[in-house]
Amino acid sequence: MTARFEREVLTHLDAAYNLARWLTGENAAAEDAVQEACLRAFRFFDGQRGESPKAWFMTIVRNTCLDGLKASRSAHHEEYDDEIHGASAHDGPDVAAARDSDARSLHACIAGLPREYREVIVLRELEGLAYREIGAIVGVPLGTVMSRLARGRDLLQRRLLAQHRRLAP
Amino acid sequence: MNCARLSQVLDAWLDGELDAATGAEIEQHLRGCAACAGLRDGRAALADRLRAGTLAYAAPPHLRTRVERAIAANAAAAPARGGPTWWQAAAALGAASALGLAVGYWIGKPLPESLPGEQVVASHIASLKPSRQLVEVASTDRHVVKPWFQGKVDFAPAVRDLSSDGYTLVGGRLDHVAEGQAVAIVYRVREHVISLFVWRAATPREEPLALSSARGFSVASWSEAGLRFAAVSDADSREIERFARLMQAQR
Repeated sequence: MTARFEREVLTHLDAAYNLARWLTGENAAAEDAVQEACLRAFRFFDGQRGESPKAWFMTIVRNTCLDGLKASRSAHHEEYDDEIHGASAHDGPDVAAARDSDARSLHACIAGLPREYREVIVLRELEGLAYREIGAIVGVPLGTVMSRLARGRDLLQRRLLAQHRRLAP
Repeated sequence: MNCARLSQVLDAWLDGELDAATGAEIEQHLRGCAACAGLRDGRAALADRLRAGTLAYAAPPHLRTRVERAIAANAAAAPARGGPTWWQAAAALGAASALGLAVGYWIGKPLPESLPGEQVVASHIASLKPSRQLVEVASTDRHVVKPWFQGKVDFAPAVRDLSSDGYTLVGGRLDHVAEGQAVAIVYRVREHVISLFVWRAATPREEPLALSSARGFSVASWSEAGLRFAAVSDADSREIERFARLMQAQR
């Protein structure tokens, strides 16, 4: 392994795992996806001279996750459901460790968002990436990043409000 | 700027993605429109909740090791680009036996005893990421930090109180150095964070204090009583040496 690969790609392992974990909803699937993404990145790294190695690597991570989700969906012969899948995420030990119900409901609301909104929120709010980088990772123009973030935050606020009303009528 | 347009650009403005002229138009509209100002306040409240929530997942410590091994194995098995067929891989392995041996050696090699510099620096840097917790147990009291490690690692790292020398204990966390489990005890001196990594030495050899640096970080490492110690910080090397000597002196 080269020092440059270590410095420019593996240094983003936490970011990669975070995105993979939010996309797949499972620890094991996220780990598998990150490992596969690292192998893919390593294979094509020599020819890569982009301005943002992080965005490049995260693009591979995202594609690997989507490939994995597609494969498991066809293996189960059922429609992948973001809502159900996202909801299952809050049974994990990580979430059990979440200190208060506020954090838990926020987590559940994000996990329950449709993928196209969930991913831009994770990339922006948790990874702090610029719109340009998010656009490159997700493969959409800047205007779409903008509208998806706006819509995603609208949805999130609405769901948090609904949950709050349910819990404290 | 009208309300419909504002709802389209508000998020980009809050995210610092718009030019100053548009920003001024937005601010002007917000001053005169209670409904849109409410929208902005809602976003601000959401941003606060997102920041406060522990939402980012950090890669589990074993994942890096797993990835490094997979890459090493992959590099050994498939040096040809674009995925070789079986016989190509076999031929390449024969031709590159020296490389294969070198990679095999690298995988099987125990943790380097004398040069942990780059590895501890990588772990130290990882711990400073905003998505990670600097410490899992936060306390300036060594009688809180030390017992926290009990049952989590198979050794009992000493946690020293160096507050009278200007080093404030911040806490501790489980970490890893290269392939092995380690604990990290975190101190602060002025604005610098110091991670003191402690892990079990492969051989119970005593090693004197050695100073090195990697990627701009200073590292002081030594061995005693079957444990390896490495202190890492962006403070200068004199500072880290003083810290290390105090650690040793308290033995």
